[in-house]
Parts: sequence; structure tokens; C-alpha cells
Amino acid sequence: MTFTGAIGALCMFPLRLIIDGCVALRIHPNVLTFVGVLINVVAAWYLATGRFVTAGFIMIVANIFDFIDGKVATQLGAVSKFGGFWDSVIDRFSDLALFIGLIYLYAERGRTDYVMVTAIASTFALMTSYTRARAESLITRCKVGFMERPERIVLFMIGAFTNRMAAVLWVILVLSIFTVADRIIHTWIELRREERAVRA
Amino acid sequence: MSAARALTLPARVLWHAFFWTYERATWQYDLMVIAILAFVWLTPPAWLGDPMASGQPGLIELLLRLIR
Repeated sequence: MTFTGAIGALCMFPLRLIIDGCVALRIHPNVLTFVGVLINVVAAWYLATGRFVTAGFIMIVANIFDFIDGKVATQLGAVSKFGGFWDSVIDRFSDLALFIGLIYLYAERGRTDYVMVTAIASTFALMTSYTRARAESLITRCKVGFMERPERIVLFMIGAFTNRMAAVLWVILVLSIFTVADRIIHTWIELRREERAVRA
Repeated sequence: MSAARALTLPARVLWHAFFWTYERATWQYDLMVIAILAFVWLTPPAWLGDPMASGQPGLIELLLRLIR
């Protein structure tokens, strides 16, 4: 087992209990998704005021909701197309909330350089999911590129808990640019292959 | 032939690092995570002009201080 796999397996123990609790209480997964975004807004407020450690703890709570909604939906037999759509739309709001919190913080401190880094990182974070969604309307699968939402969220938490948000933002920025580029290249290759197959 | 292979190896590693197609929980993923964490924790915040952590020592600096 890889070490990231081991960490994932370790985290699943408490999450399993929370999922079982939500299933027992029959909480609708769409409600869990919405509660997740509200808690992320609170985390964004703490980021905006420079209280990173508190923001980190709140992000953990918010992302528990984010993580378990799909699992609860499966166990309750409440999986729906709208649920998937709702989840991905709300995820974008959660992402943007955290970035806006940081933009506010750096703007208030007069750091236009980091306002720009954060703004561009948030643009490419959004484009990461947009390129995949758009690509998968044309090809069957477009799951390439490293920097997806779980990686971004874990990096935000690491940045918040260890006060290394600037380094984290640079990582998110650079790897999100590569992820978007990967998805464009992958879609281009796949579409070209399809066109050739049609011609042959 | 081996020289050509040796020359292309770094290029291939770079290509696979940037054109990422690996799943989570693979050894390639672990390597990438280690590289990211090393960058985040080892880079002195002052080098990046970190608005919140400038003046704080990086991990390397901290370890060196402990050794001294």
C-alpha cells in the first residue's frame, strides 16, 4: 500500500461512523452538500481575517460534508442526476469562497502580487473542472492532470495549519495550469483519434 | 542505444510529471505529493515574499538552528 493510500484508509474509519450516522438519521445528501458550502464560507471568513488555524479546522468540517454526501446518497438509494449536478455546482462555490477569502486578506494587506496569484489560481481551479465537464460531453473520459479538487482542499488545509499559504498558492497555480493544459491536449488527441477512425 | 535512452529518460520523467495520467494511491502519486510537501515546507517563506509568514524560518533553517 502506498503512503497516500494508507492515509486515505486511516481517514475512512471516522468518516465511516459519520456516514452511518447520517444514513441512520436519513439526512438528504443534497442538504449535506449545501451545509458543506455554508461551512466553507465561514472558513473563508477566517482566512480573510488571517486566522488560518481556525480556518483549517473549519475546512476539515466543511469537507467532511463534501466527502460524505455521495456515500450517503448511495447508502440511502438517493443517487440522482440532479444530485451529481448540485454537488459539482456547489463545489465550485466552495472553491471560490476560499479563494475570495484569501484575495480579501491579501488586498487588505496591500499585497497586489498575491491578490493576482490567488485570482489566477482560482481561475485555473475553475477551468480545471470546466475543461473536464466540457471534454466529457465530447469524449468518454477526461480524467488527466494532477490538481483536482481533493488535492486543492488538502493543500489549503496544509497551508492553513502550517502557515505556508503562499507556497500552497504557487503549487495550486502552477499545477492547475498544467492540469488544464493536460485536459486540452488529451481532448485534442482523443478527438483526432475519433476523426481518423471515422475516416478509415 | 543506452546513451540515447539515458538522454531521453529525464525528458520522459518530466513529460509524465506534467502530462499527468496516474491514479491516486500509486507510487508516482506518492512521489508527487512528497515533492509538493518538500516545496511547501522547505522553501523559506521570505523567498516567496509570503505576506503571512515572512520572517518565519523555513523548515531547513529551523532544523539547522536545532542542530547548532
